[in-house]
Amino acid sequence: MAAQRMREALRDAMAEEMRRDESVYVMGEDVAVFQGAFKVTEGLLEEFGERRVRDTPISENTMVGMGVGSAMAGLRPVVELMTVNFALLAFDQMINHAAAIPYMFNGQARVPMVIRMPGGGGHQLGPTHSHSFEAMFLQIPGLLVACPSTPADGKGMLKAAIRDDNPVIFIEHEALYGARGEVPESDDHVVEFGKAAVRRSGTDVTIVGILRMADIAQQAAKTLANDHGVEAEVIDPRTLRPLDLDTILESVRKTNRLVIVEEGWPHGGVGANIAALVAEQAFDHLDAPVQRVTGADVPMPYSKRLEQSAIPHPENVVSAALATTQGALG
Amino acid sequence: MSVDIVMPRLSDSMEEGTVLTWMKQVGDEVALGEELVEIETDKANMVFESDAAGTLIEIVAEEGVTLPIGEVIARVGEKGETPKDAASAEATEDGAARAGSSAVQTSQSPRIHAADARSDPPDLGDDEAAAGDPSPVSDAAPSTQTDPASEGGRVKASPLARRIAEEKGVDLGALAGSGPGGRVIKVDVENASAAPVPEEQAAATPTPTVSAKEKPETAKGAVEVVELTKLQQTVSRRMAESKATAPHFYLQAEIDMSRCFEARTRVKAAAKEGDVVPSFNDMVVKACAIALRQFPRANGAYRDGKFELYERVNVGIAVAARDALVVPTVFDADRKGLTAIATESRSLAARVRDGSVTPPELSGGTFTVSNLGMYGISNFHAVINAPQAAILAVGAIEEKPVVYDGEIAVGRIMGVTLACDHRILYGADGAEFLARVKSLLSEPLGLAL
Repeated sequence: MAAQRMREALRDAMAEEMRRDESVYVMGEDVAVFQGAFKVTEGLLEEFGERRVRDTPISENTMVGMGVGSAMAGLRPVVELMTVNFALLAFDQMINHAAAIPYMFNGQARVPMVIRMPGGGGHQLGPTHSHSFEAMFLQIPGLLVACPSTPADGKGMLKAAIRDDNPVIFIEHEALYGARGEVPESDDHVVEFGKAAVRRSGTDVTIVGILRMADIAQQAAKTLANDHGVEAEVIDPRTLRPLDLDTILESVRKTNRLVIVEEGWPHGGVGANIAALVAEQAFDHLDAPVQRVTGADVPMPYSKRLEQSAIPHPENVVSAALATTQGALG
Repeated sequence: MSVDIVMPRLSDSMEEGTVLTWMKQVGDEVALGEELVEIETDKANMVFESDAAGTLIEIVAEEGVTLPIGEVIARVGEKGETPKDAASAEATEDGAARAGSSAVQTSQSPRIHAADARSDPPDLGDDEAAAGDPSPVSDAAPSTQTDPASEGGRVKASPLARRIAEEKGVDLGALAGSGPGGRVIKVDVENASAAPVPEEQAAATPTPTVSAKEKPETAKGAVEVVELTKLQQTVSRRMAESKATAPHFYLQAEIDMSRCFEARTRVKAAAKEGDVVPSFNDMVVKACAIALRQFPRANGAYRDGKFELYERVNVGIAVAARDALVVPTVFDADRKGLTAIATESRSLAARVRDGSVTPPELSGGTFTVSNLGMYGISNFHAVINAPQAAILAVGAIEEKPVVYDGEIAVGRIMGVTLACDHRILYGADGAEFLARVKSLLSEPLGLAL
């Protein structure tokens, strides 16, 4: 184990997979010479050369389209988009092609590609650079959606994504690139998709948080324990598709209460989806309505104060958790 | 169909809130986000903006009532709707919802309306409207049949509580719910099944905390707990609030009332039967009113980081009423003669004591005079009647030796203390104001001008 930042862990994942498998290559805007807008591809050009680490024009739909074609032809592309907002330009290639082709050709053609993109707010990048679109990608059958929250998961999940034969939307959080954590050094550190991580055990309320909100959920859990005597169980699903619903259901059957925290919008969000699944499958285990803590229902504001108030904070999670335990705990 | 407005959680630590003021009355239209009610929390008084739109059809929690978070405080519905209509509609809908929930539905089944969606024009605006429109739920309700089990009013219980109650044979209707809005939750059912008690008793003693409060034996003997009247609640709240938020400082002075005494004696001698003779307090009120006109910040308030300076000079007179304290207002006291002030203050005090004083007569004050001289108190500190800038506490007039030009004489000395809110009225300003009051009373000709 060694302490690494998220950006280093992601870089190592790509480098290791590129060493392991000749068919893996990286492309995107400024990923080669400039080494990535967030320095995630640092050192890759030097080690692997221009053929496998390619700068592209600013043309997202074309980049993803090239990725789809090369994946169908047998390569394993890792396409970096500068932010999730720019991914919207490539929806045609992602949804009509990457997601649909394996289905349309009944598996005779596969699209083993990874599309990496950072999202999330907190850096005053305004409404065109800081959104959280996990729910949008989650809606599309054929795409896997990964949302790592720790450096160890970032590395293990990106390696899993590269090895997977399905197209993977790999969503990173801008505020987590500098986050430090212990990362296994082994080449075989692969985090299997569809396995949630229980970050904290508890008996009173289950809090599900993704990406940066996984950390916010843990901070809230500490406050709940210290100030309110409420023991929260914190679950990070890690991948939204496939979703490890069993771990969430098992926890809800124990705690009878559920709070879901995400940075994205409330309508049709990740929380709305999980809340519906839990209501369908664990209705008789719920002792309080499921609470969602989401980003505000507005385009991400630029103003620092407005932006901060549009993003969930630990106190919002504490309030939501207390709303579920009201009257139940002495 | 009506929507319940419930006691909102306005702070993290809030457990209950007190309704202070309804800004809307029954029958008023309420828009989403419009100021609806002022609520006192453990931290502050906050205005709650309506989270429902429609007509306010019922106020459940009157002003002064304290309720836990989640309790219904009002209902908003359609124009002309009565609370009764709303209640029966609600029962029907709940029943329908329950019938719906028992139907088997699998998440794997393909969505039938997926085909319909394709025929819709690809208009982004439509999606937005659909997201914000809560109507589909209520549209579906009339088509499903009502659940016969809901007869006699549905018990609010969580799905888990319902299941455990069924397993253990506990009657949900006999339980007092401790969840939000009185919802029966797991803990209620478990407590009920752990210690079986006759039903009436279970209903009568919902939680052990209530019985623990009964007549505690203490070193002080039996304790009589007296509930406050609404007025007492208001007095205690506003006094505590004033001391907690307004930084008070005090300026004391002794005023020789000899000239006032002489003037009043002459007026009294000249008065016919039934004429009103101004009291010393009326003179103090008049002197303050004149001085307030000259010192705008004494006739103002510090509010939300701003000074409010008032056009009218309205002097409140603190009057002790039955077990309470009220402050009727002499409006435009600077423009009224002493006799007019005397007549008005007498009538106000009488109506305070017999309880016929009206709310407008008790509001609008810009400054307050509090007089305890009749009890022989020589001087005292008053609590500012927030958000006013200051209050003048007036003591008794006592004969005392005073020195004038090196000679000892007998003065009629009245002790006064001006309490100032330092956020608006600073030391020198307060002192100048008080000096002006003092000079007006020392040489009362000014009061008559």
